[in-house]
Amino acid sequence: MNIIEIKDLSFSYSENLHALTDINLEIKRGEWISILGHNGSGKSTLSKLIIGLLKADKGEIYVDGLKLSEETVHDIRRKIGIVFQNPDNQFVGVTVEDDIAFGMENLCFSQPEIENKITEYAAKVNMLEFLKKEPQALSGGQKQRVAIAGILAMSTDIIIFDEATSMLDPKGRSSIMKYIKEINETGVTVITITHDMKEAVLSDRIVILKEGRIIACGDTIDVLNNKSILNSSNLELLLPLQLLHLLEENHQSNEKLKDILWRLSLNK
Amino acid sequence: MAIKFEQVNYVYPSYDGPAFSALKDINLDIDEHGEFITLIGETGSGKSTLVQHMNALIKPTSGSVTIYGIKIEHDTKAKGKVKLNPLRQRVGLVFQFPEYQLFEETVLKDIIFGPKNFGVKEEVAIERARQVIKHVGLSEEYLSRSPFNLSGGEKKRVSIAGILAMEPDILVLDEPTSGLDPKGRDSLLELFMDIHKKLNKTVIVITHDMNTVYKYASRVLVMNNGKLVYDGLPTELFSKDNIANWNLDIPEILDITYQLEDKYNIKFPKVPASLQDLYELIKEVIL
Repeated sequence: MNIIEIKDLSFSYSENLHALTDINLEIKRGEWISILGHNGSGKSTLSKLIIGLLKADKGEIYVDGLKLSEETVHDIRRKIGIVFQNPDNQFVGVTVEDDIAFGMENLCFSQPEIENKITEYAAKVNMLEFLKKEPQALSGGQKQRVAIAGILAMSTDIIIFDEATSMLDPKGRSSIMKYIKEINETGVTVITITHDMKEAVLSDRIVILKEGRIIACGDTIDVLNNKSILNSSNLELLLPLQLLHLLEENHQSNEKLKDILWRLSLNK
Repeated sequence: MAIKFEQVNYVYPSYDGPAFSALKDINLDIDEHGEFITLIGETGSGKSTLVQHMNALIKPTSGSVTIYGIKIEHDTKAKGKVKLNPLRQRVGLVFQFPEYQLFEETVLKDIIFGPKNFGVKEEVAIERARQVIKHVGLSEEYLSRSPFNLSGGEKKRVSIAGILAMEPDILVLDEPTSGLDPKGRDSLLELFMDIHKKLNKTVIVITHDMNTVYKYASRVLVMNNGKLVYDGLPTELFSKDNIANWNLDIPEILDITYQLEDKYNIKFPKVPASLQDLYELIKEVIL
């Protein structure tokens, strides 16, 4: 069953600035899908359209059977959490704990429940000792972890991570990715917007946007190895696959080497 | 010596709970010319706090930072004899997400804003803008455009042009490539390399990307929990022993190299600097 259906969607910021053209996409309940593409390809615009922050010029969006409209937008936002790239744009609380509580308060969680979840999710993103801190005492990466905790605590059916890990250090990034995998395994539908093939590798399916159009949509393992498609949208093959392509172009590979490089690519 | 840190400590004040010690006993020398430095460390390790001392945006709680001969200490006042403006002109700082700091109607006005504040005549500033817009890889035609209709990568370039127009001797960039697609990231890093080589400026880049460190840096600084724990060559930093001891994330090229050595139970005669290098090593040793 599809939790999100996007039909013939188009959006322009102005007459000359077409951000998205004729987007058709179905996302299954419980699926993890990565949306990739060059800067300005329309990835973030698409996520803003899905949660109704922008209004489409043409086409329809269905979330969990509800057609997105002015009447349904608030119900739809209860089903979708979104974490943006720049944490300064979404830090609304006076302290870390206020900030984590904010989303849950809007969804009318009970006070004891909010308090429990603040501790639970602050611990998950390793920010427990910072609960009383003000945002200016936090680094960019720490603020981002707080934002992620606040969204996770809302326990929505769908979570969109819009380049949410680009501010994090490698360790912070891999721990968040591990956690995204965990919540996806509990049935939450996940959409990650990223430039990082190492993150995309974890998802079930990859969509590639170029200049506002979908130029590829398929199983991760297939899209991952499509050098020309990736390069045409300013992306690059994973390094082990770059090496494999270099070897194969020069007829220098063998089965064992190929196997090792694929395993390295897929983190196995 | 352009910048000298001597026993620098910095504590963030707090109104509730214990104060946070962000820098602990930092000693560091930065040369004016010829260095391409990367600064790495976990989030919250003190990287941004460290670079904000480099042009006296914040002052040490104890110890001193000497910037082009002017000593900045806890009680140094901007009024009176010490002028901080010249320092800020010589050490150009590009913050995280500089694109959010664009505010003028045109790219030209945004670029000349900084130099004009430092007393540069408008005609001179405009002439500089024409130069620097090319240095950041954009055409002069961009000068008349609104900064708000540019892509993220273009905005970053414009904000870097604004700093270059102040003609700093040292350029410090706080995570300049985060959020850029791989092609945009590479072209921006090539741009910094160009500025470093052609204009002979020291460039300091804060990054989390070990591939960047490995490919570009002549020197790498590692911050950990407020302390400067490594100051040296990238090749040494990423030796097998250090990686194990320091729990470092390693450049991908080295990761593949070490994994192949393990799987084939071999040792390559050298450490590859690039993918092409590794390809040659594989041909020589494995195939």
